[in-house]
Amino acid sequence: MIIFSYLAVGAIALALIMLSKSHRAMNAFFILHTLASLAIGVYVLLTTTVPIFETGSEYFYVDHLSLYEALIAALLFFLASVYANGYVESLMQAQELHRNNLKIFYMVFSLLLTTVTLAFFSDNLALFWIFAELTTVFSAALVAILSAKENIDAAIKYIFIASGAMLFSFIGLIFLYTLSGEVLSSGTLNWTMLAKNAAILSPKMLTASFVFLFIGFAAKSGIFPFHTWLPDAHSKAPSAVSAILSGVLLNIGMYGILRMYAIVRQTQAETMVSQFLLGFGLLTVAVAVLNMLLQKNLKMLIAFSSVEHMGILLLGIGIGTPLALFWTLFYILAHSLTKASLFFSAGILHRQYESNLIKDIKDVFSLQPIAGWGFVIGSFAIIGMPPFPIFSAKFFILLEAFGFSKPLVFAVLLLLVIASAAFARFLIEAFTQSSKDAGTEGPEALLLPYVVRNGMKFPIISILFIILALGVVFPEPLENLLNIIVYELGYL
Amino acid sequence: MISPFLADPAFLENIIRILFVFVLITAAFTLSTRNIASLLNVYAVQSLLLVLIAVFLYLIEGSQTLLAIAVLTLVSKVLLIPLFINLIGEKIKISRDLKFNYLEPTASLIVSMGLILLAYVFLSGFFSEFILGKLFFMGAVIGLSLTLMGMLVIFSRRKVITKAIGYLTMENGVLLFGIFVADLPFIIEILIVIDLMILVLLTTILAIGIDSTIEEYHQRLQTLRIWSGRED
Repeated sequence: MIIFSYLAVGAIALALIMLSKSHRAMNAFFILHTLASLAIGVYVLLTTTVPIFETGSEYFYVDHLSLYEALIAALLFFLASVYANGYVESLMQAQELHRNNLKIFYMVFSLLLTTVTLAFFSDNLALFWIFAELTTVFSAALVAILSAKENIDAAIKYIFIASGAMLFSFIGLIFLYTLSGEVLSSGTLNWTMLAKNAAILSPKMLTASFVFLFIGFAAKSGIFPFHTWLPDAHSKAPSAVSAILSGVLLNIGMYGILRMYAIVRQTQAETMVSQFLLGFGLLTVAVAVLNMLLQKNLKMLIAFSSVEHMGILLLGIGIGTPLALFWTLFYILAHSLTKASLFFSAGILHRQYESNLIKDIKDVFSLQPIAGWGFVIGSFAIIGMPPFPIFSAKFFILLEAFGFSKPLVFAVLLLLVIASAAFARFLIEAFTQSSKDAGTEGPEALLLPYVVRNGMKFPIISILFIILALGVVFPEPLENLLNIIVYELGYL
Repeated sequence: MISPFLADPAFLENIIRILFVFVLITAAFTLSTRNIASLLNVYAVQSLLLVLIAVFLYLIEGSQTLLAIAVLTLVSKVLLIPLFINLIGEKIKISRDLKFNYLEPTASLIVSMGLILLAYVFLSGFFSEFILGKLFFMGAVIGLSLTLMGMLVIFSRRKVITKAIGYLTMENGVLLFGIFVADLPFIIEILIVIDLMILVLLTTILAIGIDSTIEEYHQRLQTLRIWSGRED
């Protein structure tokens, strides 16, 4: 029932967008689609006893983790759809988005929401693989929709790296299938079956299969050394799409790694895989912060920050204690929201200056107060300052890591300081520039404020409100939900 | 006349081994050929070889899934995909992909020899504990090698269409690996082919974009009637 309602909503939204004539209508139907997805998720969470299998077979499975991820996705899509209303109109006015492509944009965006949701609810890992692949293809189309050469370049790089790596994941799945066939009556790729029988799987083969699967999932979430596509794609995409790429699509790869780790940790392969994850996590954070430090491009800075945060999530998964998992899950939510607000603010700034470069940004607070403050507060939140939620998440993950390895914690802390310095440097340099002391006075140097359209401020302000609230009080329902997820993944 | 041979498993196994060699030859061609039309033909031949391997394996094993895979591969990869890329290739008038990134053909051939050995060493480490027949083990090695060589194509070639053929080669490798290591449910094979089609469709459309100015791009897309959304 749950899967069918998601599918039905997706199909209806797609059809309505296809039939509608004006931008306003397309946007409205897309917003309705996101709201409906949100509503289904909340309804299921409140009224249905999960975990349950869906569609009468074991292909789809609804548990608290998948619901949680699907809800985060729906929330971000909702915010992005509201933002898109004004933003896309500006893109068309600036002739960056061709009017003929408008319908394609909304149709693909809506399809992306449906496939993302289905990916999270797939119990069969091959099905998950296919949906994850489709999300790559659809999101790459959204990157390329601006049809500037650099966008097409970025989209092509994204497709070939992410999809190529996902083929290695498929080899991992074949391994997994064979391996389960050795001990069970027939081979299976159903996560529930594998998790139940994990203890009798051969640890050596399981490690091999994990490594192959990791290649694809890591590429999808921008883990070093497969991150090279991410800064290009995330910074070239329209900002409404960038927010989804960073806030939702990266979570898909992490979700895959999380599910696989839940299987692996029941076997003797755990130590090796955990060290493997910690190693890649640390490398990822290191590479990302070094690229952030002297970054001159606003959206590139945010994109590399996503790479950094994926590295920290990988550390959180690799530590493997129940508490670390709890905070990793919370981190996913905090990161998605904060990153979206940064991209939304950057989108407004890009409209204002028609550039993402540090040297072009002037008089931020008088021209674009909301975007300016949104970016400043968002930066504080993303580097993990208290009282924002990323602070507590990072704090407790590192505290758990302390029992694991002290040098690791020190290394991560050092890198986090560099990341904060990168944001501080960028903010000070860009946001204190004034056209008065630039020396290029005259009428051509004066910028007119870009009129921020309706709907573009709402997502930024509401996200800032939510993360501030989440940082100050930890709502009990959320705590219960995360605890149930930790339990369901077999950690307790 | 020929049927006694077809009933003899040893004969069939040897035929399959010879086909493995042919598959590797096609992969080597993909790494070095500059002409896009012949690259496409090589890909079609490679897919046809996979079809033959699946059919011969069916004659040995008798599993219906193999026959279904053979038919699916024949329709999608020997006929439809090459036909489609050919159509696009004519529109964008790229006939040659001359430049190489990082690796020249000779170097990539040497690297791929290394990769084949690597695939063998790696897999023999893992399959020692499995009772995987000799032929099946060889199939897995060739499949993994083909995947790695496809990856090499994506790395070392410049043009999007050639990269797409690299991706398709990788996928052929995964298919070969899958045939010999596990009998996956047929539905999964269908899903992969659908994924492949969408990916090829998108990348080739983008290939048109890379190769032209933006105004031309929109005109070309309109003549192709691929982008149909319109708001007036």
